[in-house]
Amino acid sequence: MGVARFLAGLLAAALLHFVGTRLFPAFPRATDLFLLVAVLEARRGHPVGGMLAGLAAGLAADGVTGGPYGLFGFADTAVAFGVATAARQLVVQRTTSLAGLFAAAAAAQQAIVAALALVFRPGAELAAPEWLLARVVSTALLGLAWTRSAELLLARVAARRAGREKKLGAPK
Amino acid sequence: MRSRWTHLLLAVLLVGQLFLLAGQTPDRGGERSLLAGTTLRLLGPLARLVGAAGDAGTELSRALASRARLAEENRQLRAELIELRRERLRLGELELEAEALARGLGFERRSDWSLTPAEVVYLDRTSWLRTLIVWAGPGRARRDQPVVTELGLVGRVIATAGGYAKVQLLTDAAASAGALVERVRRQGIVRGAPGGGLTLELVPRQVPVEPGDRVVSAGIDGVYPRGIPIGTVVAVAPGDELFHRIVVEPAADLARLDFVYLLEQPAPPAELAGEGADGRR
Repeated sequence: MGVARFLAGLLAAALLHFVGTRLFPAFPRATDLFLLVAVLEARRGHPVGGMLAGLAAGLAADGVTGGPYGLFGFADTAVAFGVATAARQLVVQRTTSLAGLFAAAAAAQQAIVAALALVFRPGAELAAPEWLLARVVSTALLGLAWTRSAELLLARVAARRAGREKKLGAPK
Repeated sequence: MRSRWTHLLLAVLLVGQLFLLAGQTPDRGGERSLLAGTTLRLLGPLARLVGAAGDAGTELSRALASRARLAEENRQLRAELIELRRERLRLGELELEAEALARGLGFERRSDWSLTPAEVVYLDRTSWLRTLIVWAGPGRARRDQPVVTELGLVGRVIATAGGYAKVQLLTDAAASAGALVERVRRQGIVRGAPGGGLTLELVPRQVPVEPGDRVVSAGIDGVYPRGIPIGTVVAVAPGDELFHRIVVEPAADLARLDFVYLLEQPAPPAELAGEGADGRR
């Protein structure tokens, strides 16, 4: 179930990436939906699952950006592992902390990508600081929005289920 | 114990990807690998689906919004068609005349190119490799095939999978092409520049290149045939001691590509090909 949900998330991220790129050519510079999917999966607190999710999401990101393969793969694997390890030891609930977690993940990913670029592609064009900032902010906002929406939805479903059970169990 | 295995797995994954990255050296950055081919096959249809849905939606909304404008546009296009037919007749006569003169001089021309239309399914100008993915149909694209639009040169095919082809844009930092400044008939090398532009290199400072000069392919790199518009010179600055630093604006609008053409041209004889003719770094 978890794997299917992750793969569905990855497919949705790829679809939204293509739609976003078609509508706004600067979309891939401003946000990374694949990282978002990896971090959401990693927040479940399983380091192995997290790193595999990061690997899959990163390689998918490498695929849609035309490579080189392993660039985002490496960064997302490391970031997702870090998030999963942190999620095992910390319970992040406050809005600012949650946004900080997603922002830190995006910043760490960009730092790793830049470091790899310096090592493997000395002449490569690095992302401009404003786009880096946009990525960090958009990842934080999207991650926060998704997490809060999911929590709200789950709470409503639980409330409805409890109400139904109460109604069924009530003496006539 | 379990934590140790987790860390070992992490190390294996990270080191594996470092090897993968190291295997893709810059000068071979666009070559096809098993991974690249598989990704192209998997993601190509998805990008094509999104593109087709977007085009259909845009067309429908346009058609609904502006029927009157379309009728007017249709009238203008018909008038333009008549004008172009007249022009074609005139050019046809000129071509016959030029061929007769060429025959008289004993000048042997290379055979004409043929064009294969291809639909752009995904354009990514933001990653390091500035690439686009096109759908040309099974077996219709091949490696190193020049890609053009009606405005000018776009790039070359660097990988094919199924009916899809990955095209390296001329603005990619690893791309280059032999070029000719038309007015002064001086050859140089056009390369992709950071920010998505082009630079023209190896043009000596004593050559009077000016903004507005047209740059076309020189046909010296073994990939791009001669005479295809590459762009226009927008800035000329003194470079190092010997050469100009020339900035060229691409002729083809690489931000708005819907359809491109794959250019089919007769290959040079095998014994001559490969002797320094490359067209890429």
